[in-house]
Amino acid sequence: MYGGGNTFEGLKTDSLAQEDPIRLAAFEARIARGEKIEPTDWMPQLYRKQLIRMIEQHAHSEIIGALPEGTWITRAPGFKRKMSLMAKVQDEVGHAQLLYSAAETLGKSREQMVDDLINGKSKYSNIFNYPTFTWADCCFISWLVDAGAIVNQLANAKGSYGPYCRALERICAEESFHLKYGHHCVIYLASGTAKQRQMFQEALNRWWPPMMHFFGPSDKISAHTEVLMRWKVKMGTNDEMRNQFLDMYVPKIWELGFTIPDPSLKKNENGKWQYTEPDWEEFKRVINGDGPCNKERLEVRRIAEARGKWVREALKTPKMSYATPLA
Amino acid sequence: MNSLDPRVNRLPQLNEAISTKAPLDQFGTYEVFVQPKEGKPFQHEGIVHAPNLELAWVLAKETFTRRFTCVSLYVVDTRDVYVSPLTEGDKNVYDVLPQVAEQSGSKKNFEIYHLVKRGKQHVHVGTVQAVLPQEAMQLAGKQFNNGKVVFNVWAIATDTIRFTNDEEKELWLTLPEKKFRDASDYKGGDKLKEFLEKR
Amino acid sequence: MNLALKELLYKMADDQLILGHRNSEWTGFGPILEEDIAFSSMAQDKVGQSLALYTLLQTLGESDPDTVAFTRNANQFHNCILVELPNQEYDFSLIRHFLFDTAEALRFEALGNSSYEPLAQLARKIRGELRYHTLHANTWMKQLGSATEESITRLQNSLQIALPYALGIFEPSPYEAELIDQKIFTGEVALKEKWMAKVESVLNQTQLHLPDWKTITPVYGGREGKHSEHLQPLLDEMSEVFRIDPSAEW
Repeated sequence: MYGGGNTFEGLKTDSLAQEDPIRLAAFEARIARGEKIEPTDWMPQLYRKQLIRMIEQHAHSEIIGALPEGTWITRAPGFKRKMSLMAKVQDEVGHAQLLYSAAETLGKSREQMVDDLINGKSKYSNIFNYPTFTWADCCFISWLVDAGAIVNQLANAKGSYGPYCRALERICAEESFHLKYGHHCVIYLASGTAKQRQMFQEALNRWWPPMMHFFGPSDKISAHTEVLMRWKVKMGTNDEMRNQFLDMYVPKIWELGFTIPDPSLKKNENGKWQYTEPDWEEFKRVINGDGPCNKERLEVRRIAEARGKWVREALKTPKMSYATPLA
Repeated sequence: MNSLDPRVNRLPQLNEAISTKAPLDQFGTYEVFVQPKEGKPFQHEGIVHAPNLELAWVLAKETFTRRFTCVSLYVVDTRDVYVSPLTEGDKNVYDVLPQVAEQSGSKKNFEIYHLVKRGKQHVHVGTVQAVLPQEAMQLAGKQFNNGKVVFNVWAIATDTIRFTNDEEKELWLTLPEKKFRDASDYKGGDKLKEFLEKR
Repeated sequence: MNLALKELLYKMADDQLILGHRNSEWTGFGPILEEDIAFSSMAQDKVGQSLALYTLLQTLGESDPDTVAFTRNANQFHNCILVELPNQEYDFSLIRHFLFDTAEALRFEALGNSSYEPLAQLARKIRGELRYHTLHANTWMKQLGSATEESITRLQNSLQIALPYALGIFEPSPYEAELIDQKIFTGEVALKEKWMAKVESVLNQTQLHLPDWKTITPVYGGREGKHSEHLQPLLDEMSEVFRIDPSAEW
């Protein structure tokens, strides 16, 4: 699961002046032809840096994203839900594994990335800094946060970097299970008892603002990313992604008879969705560490790393040296 | 911690301050190859981190074959994969491989992998016998280069691979039944229809 | 035959459910990502196996699997106490996984010849899952059990703690003779013998020390519903959502 938006701030394109113009032209021509870039290809420093940053943040979002739903892993109601949720949260860990590996092909080791996460240097998707109060919050994530992630990931899978595309192809196939599972859970809540319906309505009320934040700041205020679009690192603007999500899922939420807590929400005649502008100050505040669960999320990762250290230490051999994965 | 997650509430307190991870506080990398069906070629699927070849195989099994179908799996240390240059456009990598004189010495088997489309997986094309991996690639060029552009070749000495043995093939016996990991197991259509009709 | 068979099925199903539940607590907290994934898969296998066993019980007249698993109290569960103990650190979870899954694999191997055909079929079907579980457990034991002073000490301590409970897996059954007579199962005594030999053979390939079996006092009680203080809270947690409205569909 992954939200866009927080990835590309502070981009300085003047570093391109340092690059070899002939190689740069060949690199851009290859992307323009629709060919993928593979790890041993020449690439501009800026491309490498931004990709590492993006894939790493995506990986962190998966491993942190396992926590809000993991909150309910021991409490899923009934065998079917219990096994599904176990498999679903496991997949998030699996996605982190795939994505860290893809980022590693660009030259940053997993241990460095994990280090940057637990020391607070790297970001992850903001939405996972919110708590899952009830089972219905967990269902909201499985269905709608994953739906948002799929919008992003399907776009990114058409990007230019081979290893990232391969990882995303696999991830998207797994996400289709998440989406169907999540929708299934919500249909059962919607068609269930008054209490069940109320649980989901309350979850929707809580999660709608972070869901609108999920795709990142509005295009009007977000950093310029033309070069990253040209290089097929960023595959769509935040507002385009948000609009696509609303277009696909608002009707499905309404169909179930739930109320989305935004009175301004409607589809305009031009096909674009209109909505109350999300509170971008809150978005910034939470990204910078002041959300309801930021501290807990990082603390849990730190504890997991510290507890696992003896296992990693025990089997480290002197001849072990670092090899960059191949593809 | 005071968490909504009962598991988190059971975690031990962290006594030590956060320190930077020691360099190489991670295992080596191993490349993972999967055969989806009998008669289909092995394909590169990704990597695992593991302390050694045996655990790499054990860990690769659930990391890469817990869905769809699988009949066999193998892993090899990343450093044991010999990698050719990478070409682009319509340039066949076999046209740019350096020539190697025939070597004397004992020959061994090498597994040959091709990348025929950038962004896709390396796929197994066959096995050759050679003394050196460079030589193996050259031989592969004669045997498997059928005119279609190949962008990248891998040669892996067969004796460096941890294969699936015959007894272990039963590990995937129940895989097709683990439907709870597939989207197809979550059909909510009837329930939804019933609900919409009632409203 | 019914009572004896049900007792066997219940204790096996309860073992698998409770240990699968415990092991699932590690999801997202494991020592490395790949192991996190592997451990979760095995937890899913266990819960799936328990579901298959509860489904057999349903055909013998018991309630449906969800009701059986999510509404009974601790004193109605027949799992051994080993599986309900908290996870503690990874060394304990690994040792428990090794000791329990070794027994489980041998149990199902024996049940492959059971006169109760549905159980024999299940045993043959899941043999691949069990093979993976024991391969996984044995590989980690052999490696961590011969690695550093810390890893060996940790595993040794956990082994000492777990062994009395592990012997509780084989708590004598009032139906032992009946099960053997009717060729449903070869019995706990025979299973224990095989298990001890297997555990010894793996531990002999490590630097871990196996105490003399005679010095270990088994912890019994689980099979007749007498549990540690850890089981009821586990069940309360597991059924928290289900019990909001047990008649609702979730």
